[in-house]
Amino acid sequence: MATVQFKKIVKKFGDNLVLNGVDVDIKDHEFVVIVGPSGCGKTTLLRMLAGLEEISDGEIFIDNLLVNELHPSKREIAMVFQDYALYPHMTVEENMNFALRLRKMPKPEIAARVTEAANILQLNKFLKRMPKQLSGGQRQRVAIGRAIVRKPKVFLFDEPLSNLDAKLREEMRVEIAKLYQRLNATIIYVTHDQVEAMTLAGRIVIMNHGIVQQVGSPIEVYRKPCNLFVAGFIGSPTMNFLAGKLSVAGGVTVFSHESLTLPIPAFVLPQKEAAEGREVVLGIRPDDVLVEHPGGEKCSEKVNGVLEVCELLGHRENLYLKVGAQRLLATVEAFFNRSPGSAVSLCFNYQNMHVFDKASERRISE
Amino acid sequence: MKKKMTAAAKRQLLKSILLHAGLIIFAAACVYPLLRIFSVSLRPGDKLVSLDLSIIPAGATFISYTKLLRDTMFLRWLGNSLLITLATSFIGVSLASTAAYAFSRFRFPGKKVGMILLLSSQMIPAGMLILPLFLMIMKLKLMNTYLGMIIAYSVSSLPFSIWILKGYYDTIPRSLEEAALVDGTSQVGAFWRIILPLSTPALSIAFLFNFTTAWNEYLVARVVLFSAKQYTWTLGLFELQGQYITQWGMFAAGSMLVTIPVLCVFLYSSKWLISGLTLGSVKG
Amino acid sequence: MEALKSIYEVAWFILLVAGGVAALEGYFYTHFKFYSRPWFFPAVLAAFPALALAIFGGLLGGYTFKLWLYFLLAEAAIAAFFRHVVKGRHTVPYLLLAPAFVGLALLLVYPFVFEVYLSFHDLKLTTIMMWKNTGTLPFVGIDQYIKVFTTSPLSEVTFWALLGRTLVWTFSNVFFHVLGGFILALMLNNHIRGKGFYRTLLVIPWAMPQVVAVLAMRGEFHSTNGFVNIVITKLVTAFPFLTSLGVAPVQWLTDYPLLTCTLINIWLGIPFMMVVILGGLQSISSSYYDAADIDGASYFQKLRYITLPLVRPVMMPAVTLGTVWTFNNINVIYLVTGQAGGTEQADILVSALYKAAFTYNRYSYSAAFAIVVFAMLFFFSVFYLKSFDAAKDER
Repeated sequence: MATVQFKKIVKKFGDNLVLNGVDVDIKDHEFVVIVGPSGCGKTTLLRMLAGLEEISDGEIFIDNLLVNELHPSKREIAMVFQDYALYPHMTVEENMNFALRLRKMPKPEIAARVTEAANILQLNKFLKRMPKQLSGGQRQRVAIGRAIVRKPKVFLFDEPLSNLDAKLREEMRVEIAKLYQRLNATIIYVTHDQVEAMTLAGRIVIMNHGIVQQVGSPIEVYRKPCNLFVAGFIGSPTMNFLAGKLSVAGGVTVFSHESLTLPIPAFVLPQKEAAEGREVVLGIRPDDVLVEHPGGEKCSEKVNGVLEVCELLGHRENLYLKVGAQRLLATVEAFFNRSPGSAVSLCFNYQNMHVFDKASERRISE
Repeated sequence: MKKKMTAAAKRQLLKSILLHAGLIIFAAACVYPLLRIFSVSLRPGDKLVSLDLSIIPAGATFISYTKLLRDTMFLRWLGNSLLITLATSFIGVSLASTAAYAFSRFRFPGKKVGMILLLSSQMIPAGMLILPLFLMIMKLKLMNTYLGMIIAYSVSSLPFSIWILKGYYDTIPRSLEEAALVDGTSQVGAFWRIILPLSTPALSIAFLFNFTTAWNEYLVARVVLFSAKQYTWTLGLFELQGQYITQWGMFAAGSMLVTIPVLCVFLYSSKWLISGLTLGSVKG
Repeated sequence: MEALKSIYEVAWFILLVAGGVAALEGYFYTHFKFYSRPWFFPAVLAAFPALALAIFGGLLGGYTFKLWLYFLLAEAAIAAFFRHVVKGRHTVPYLLLAPAFVGLALLLVYPFVFEVYLSFHDLKLTTIMMWKNTGTLPFVGIDQYIKVFTTSPLSEVTFWALLGRTLVWTFSNVFFHVLGGFILALMLNNHIRGKGFYRTLLVIPWAMPQVVAVLAMRGEFHSTNGFVNIVITKLVTAFPFLTSLGVAPVQWLTDYPLLTCTLINIWLGIPFMMVVILGGLQSISSSYYDAADIDGASYFQKLRYITLPLVRPVMMPAVTLGTVWTFNNINVIYLVTGQAGGTEQADILVSALYKAAFTYNRYSYSAAFAIVVFAMLFFFSVFYLKSFDAAKDER
């Protein structure tokens, strides 16, 4: 297992700047998920690490070894591709031992490694089959098996679950988590699905427009998103955003919005950030919008709104509310027995409220 | 029990009858010449030139076939054709497979120009190049040899083969080669071990196309080969049907012997050929 | 035993070709890989001209200083090119392309250039021995080109008559090919039993070797033994009134050779169009027809507003190709009329070209003729492509 470093990585496709100065440090045995919307550059970054794309500028180190000019097969990496990339004309067994055969490894050792990987992934029954005879999930496991037998320094996963249906995706997510526990390998995993990122990662690297937005553990990134993009990207359903102005009156900071006014206590927003007339965006997750709640010292005062649509999700319920002209989403316990159109009162949980500076989009709250 | 037909069903039946009738007429027009050759090939020796139109003539016999195989060099002509055609196809497909891979997977200066050149070479009238090829072969003292013929034929189907193979390679996902690169092959190794085994349908089409083009060729052979021993079957058959003296029986017999295998091969591979014409929509 | 000898000869030749390809690749590989080494220039300037001379000298007869000088200069230019321009980039694609394109250069480009050379010189029966022995020819400038337009390639017919005939031949053939192919494709594009069976039979004219098909059809147009005249004779004997209408057995090959060739070629060419158009028809989604049915369109309206526009993109390349092939079709004309004693009344441009070269041995004249025909086709296709692109942009 190894460490991986990206230093000031720049990538241009012609005039198109895809990656603009990316610095990431990945420790040994770490499971890092690189997540972001389509086109943010995450797959390009992964492919540059694998050696499948040229590096416009910057350096990549694997185990402190500069690998910019190294051929992919010499970097001691293994990659699981989005479309599995299983060789259609070879059996499962041949697919798995192809790389080992190329390195002219002794046959007994090849057989041992393949058996070991097959045991881990429950592929023993399929070894003699051809890829087209396997289901999507089975093919995915063969692709992973092909990577395991290499015993590489780093495992690279390129959106491995995007071609699977929802149920299979959940199953494979658990499989990959168990695999990580078992192998304790350095894994770099690219996906656009923030649920995969949150559930699998030891650390998440969030990217947008070729720039790293934030690096941190799932909890850090969820609880303390450093900018608007991260706040809106992580967490499902999406965070509510209210754009407004701050005003300071008598040591009390007040957030003014066209539809509501809210005092902001000091433990949420430190004094030095509260400037008169500062344009900010308030962020509050649907779970922290409390509807028909008794209130408390950590909650704001009540605000009146109208219930527009209810979505019953089984255990929880989504309530689409309207406060003045502003729409808000609240998630509450199921069976909130009110009909659409009825008036409801809501308050906000100050403990999980975020304030972002509108111009810089950075978080300024605690 | 009498079932009454609806007006719609009646119309459907009429349409069906008309269609079948029309198709039968056209199909007959297409097949009839072939059947005529067949019947001429079966005519007994004294009735070779006759006004009889029946498919199986009176006194049908295989004498034309035996005369053809015994008294002429027909088998030798077939052998010549086979040898030349196999060599040409082999060379043509080999050259085309590597070139098509370069066009499919790489970006390099001159790629666009190369593709346009390939396309426009299809437009050159075939007759135009026969003369210089003839003179070149004469100068190289390769007249009337196999080698001269193979040289003349080998690049004639190259542009089309490259086009077909490139179209097919384009449908193979690049992630297969990338996986091979990560596993430890070179770029060329990936081509040899992964892409080529997967391209057998397209390679077969290219081979078949090369084969049929060379097999059926007449004009170049007429110019390069001049001794009966070296003839391809096209020249040989032409010899049998002169302007004034036509060996009808043997000509017909020879035609049948050549046509039946070609038809079988064509029909067997026709579904591939048709989809090959739509450029690489076939995928393994 | 003769068979074995032939196989041996061909196998040896293939090995030679393989060796040649390997040598070619080695040549390019060294130039790609070692362009930056200090010993590059001296090594290649010494090695390759010597090697090339050994090969070509042996093939073309003897060592000469001039030949060695040419190779040295060429190698110097090539080495400089690799050193300063290419610089080792794009090695793999160029190496992959090299065998095919060298083959094309030798057997497509060089003959073409040679033909241009021929057209400015005078190669005919009387001068060919001189050329074989010395490799030189009298230079005549554009004399041959003038002759193309003023004298006849064969014995009677002029360039302009040939051009006219070729155009008539091309357009009438293509028209019937498309018409016939379209009708047959429409008929096949229905749910009927035995569709595969009909399709197989209808494709036979295309699948048969052309030599067999054409010669057989030619036989059918024979004035006494051919199918066509036999049927006409029978019809006339059965219905005597037809003679008064002028229906009688015809001397097809002597009196109407071009018509005969046209009829044969139509029979040959319809299956190809049918297959292409059928493919196009089958790709039209049936939901369009369903919508039209709901709107109340008749059969011909559907044909005109749905089928034709949607099948056009598939048909255009096929029709273009078919037109070019028909224009250049030597095979049919030559096979029907080409033997000694055959008629010239059916010749089109390209067949006259071929006959001028190989029946009358007027090689240079034929070369000039070929260049003229090629130039015509070239400018026509450039013009056609430009207007096609313009039409595409308009939409």
